[in-house]
Amino acid sequence: MGKKRLTMRRKESIYGYIFVLPWIIGFLAFTAGPLVFSFAASFTNYNITSQMDFVGGENYQGLFTEDSLFWTSLWNTLYFVAFSVPLTTLGAIFLSALLNQDIPGIRFFRTLYYLPAVLSGVGVYMLWMQLLDPGTGMVNLVLSWFGIDGPNWLFDPDWTKPSLIFMKLWSVGGSMLLYLASMQGVSKNLYEAAEIDGANTWRKFFHITIPMITPVIFFDVVTSLIGGFQIFQEAYVMSNNGEGGPANSLLFYNLYMWKQAFTNFNMGYAMAMSWILFVIVFFLTIINLKLAPRWVHYEGEEK
Amino acid sequence: MNKTRSFIFVLAALVLFLSGCAGFQTSSNNEEANKEENTEGKTVIDFWTFWGSEIRRPIIEKMIADFNESQDEIEVKHTYLPFGDIWTKELAAIAAGDPPDVVINDINATALRGQKEQAMNLSQFLEQDDISNRFYPELWDATLYEGDSYGVPFNTDTRVLFYNKDAFEEVGLDPENPPTTWAELEEYAAKLDKKSGDNYDRIGFYPLWGVGYDVWLLNANGQNYFDEQNNFQIDTAKNEEVLNWLKSFKDRYGEDVINSYQAQIDSQQGHPFFSGDLAMIVQQPTFYTQIRDYAQDLNFGVVELPEYEEGNGHTSWGGGFVAEIPAGAKNPEASWEFIKYLTDVEAQTYWAVQNFDNVANIEAAESAAESTEFTEDGTMVYQKAVENMEHTLLTPVPVIAPDFSSFINPNMDEFFLGSMTAKEALEKSQTDVENLIKKNQ
Repeated sequence: MGKKRLTMRRKESIYGYIFVLPWIIGFLAFTAGPLVFSFAASFTNYNITSQMDFVGGENYQGLFTEDSLFWTSLWNTLYFVAFSVPLTTLGAIFLSALLNQDIPGIRFFRTLYYLPAVLSGVGVYMLWMQLLDPGTGMVNLVLSWFGIDGPNWLFDPDWTKPSLIFMKLWSVGGSMLLYLASMQGVSKNLYEAAEIDGANTWRKFFHITIPMITPVIFFDVVTSLIGGFQIFQEAYVMSNNGEGGPANSLLFYNLYMWKQAFTNFNMGYAMAMSWILFVIVFFLTIINLKLAPRWVHYEGEEK
Repeated sequence: MNKTRSFIFVLAALVLFLSGCAGFQTSSNNEEANKEENTEGKTVIDFWTFWGSEIRRPIIEKMIADFNESQDEIEVKHTYLPFGDIWTKELAAIAAGDPPDVVINDINATALRGQKEQAMNLSQFLEQDDISNRFYPELWDATLYEGDSYGVPFNTDTRVLFYNKDAFEEVGLDPENPPTTWAELEEYAAKLDKKSGDNYDRIGFYPLWGVGYDVWLLNANGQNYFDEQNNFQIDTAKNEEVLNWLKSFKDRYGEDVINSYQAQIDSQQGHPFFSGDLAMIVQQPTFYTQIRDYAQDLNFGVVELPEYEEGNGHTSWGGGFVAEIPAGAKNPEASWEFIKYLTDVEAQTYWAVQNFDNVANIEAAESAAESTEFTEDGTMVYQKAVENMEHTLLTPVPVIAPDFSSFINPNMDEFFLGSMTAKEALEKSQTDVENLIKKNQ
């Protein structure tokens, strides 16, 4: 018998592979496969059903030089990301700092602020469309109590993106939970030591709490940056006919890509768009990772 | 010991993997199995629609059941998919080589789907069995790409003017003589306005509720932006005048009044036309079903759209849906038989009467207009809807620039918001769309 007996080590690694096999197959079939396919097809005039001819870099060239909507959609998306990511991060930290107090009834408030994160999708957008209605919406009604003449929110191109950012701020509960958990994990010893040294609340917050939660801030910034670039549903639901109006102010990158793919059937073109977005997000994430060691502190890290 | 353990490991992994596969099975499989026994020997075809509401679903399923009973060769199975998903799913199914057999799709992009070979060219069937003269020519023409049809018109719609007769009487207008020109429309609207202080108790008419600026441009020009040679023309002196006319209504009533009325219309509770706070509105004839359900006592009339000036024509705008066979469907002959039934007089009349919907089949539309199932008001509206088809134009998307409206609407938004003049908006639209055509060529 020429059969070699497997060593324990090899056997274990084979078992390991067997266990992750469903994931590997799923990854190859549903993630890596489409990824490679979309890259290849971005150099063709693929329209899903009848044609797939190699056109070289024509899609990419067309996007950069001839397509004004491409630039509009990229600008809208960058605007949204540039404001929503820092604001929601700050909002979530602020909120979790408030909810990290030891006062009676705090569980109730934590639940209350987390609730919006549980509710999601189209129902919430519909609700916000009513709240933001310029004539009859609650938001402008409340503003009017303070003598403020509220803007036209979703009907004024200058206010549509701020409206969405405003809406996003309402649902920071999800990341708030992460911050809260990490704040509660900060060792009490540190605070006690600081108190003995005479530090006040602010100093404790900025010199202990914030540094200790930087890993979570880092995680949150990276994921919400990636998520921010993928904004689609909000614009699709909250603009008239899903067109990204008024005046293209809600035409986000993914919405335009979707329109190219599924209403104009320019799938190759849309795939080229998706790769450009991939490169942008990839570079921003690399920059994030490179900057991280300068401000992210891991406990127990050798300095 | 070791062997059994490794066997169990492999088994466990396999079970885990296979149970994952079960997720792909659709729940409809059980129903299919139940039906299997009486479909033996028949060709089973899958019919996709987005008609799942409690009103429409029973109607379409009754039509399918009638078809299934009428012969013993073909068994049609209905699959409901939500409006937001149906066509992307269809596209994926076509690409995967396993499409449904008949699909209801948007009439305006039929030629585009023909060009992209998503829909089957129907000329092979039409050569033997020409049913094109069943339908309104405007609808039939919208299904053609390079002279061949890629879908069969099923239903359609149009736009008409609803007006409140009591309000007319109150201000001394003849309720049997609704406005016929834009000038009259404007004059009557001003008469019907009822103001108390800064607020309006009643608005006479606002042209951009119910329809967009594009319908008024179509009405004024009597034709689409694209001519038969695909030449695009929007930057004209007449269009500039039309846009300014539309905006004059907004300037007269004021932004706040328009917004608060708009909110009432959008919220679909307490439509101002039902409560008499709005005297005239352009709507689809099916708007009548809402009046019937929510404002039974409303004394209203319905008339074709007023014309730009006398003799210009009462051009209106419509759309609709076609029944088509996706490319790669397995039993096109059976699909064709079913489509023929679906667009024939009997089925179309049933659909028209039950849904109060405009249908594509001329004979069916006319017989529905005579239906005794409608009330007096219903008959009046339906007859006007059928008559109005002769004024109704469709705006099929040109294959050369299917997304041209993305290059016009934003400019029009800017115009109505006041950040562009009509001339600027039209000039920019003209250049942008011309560039788009050049890019796509």
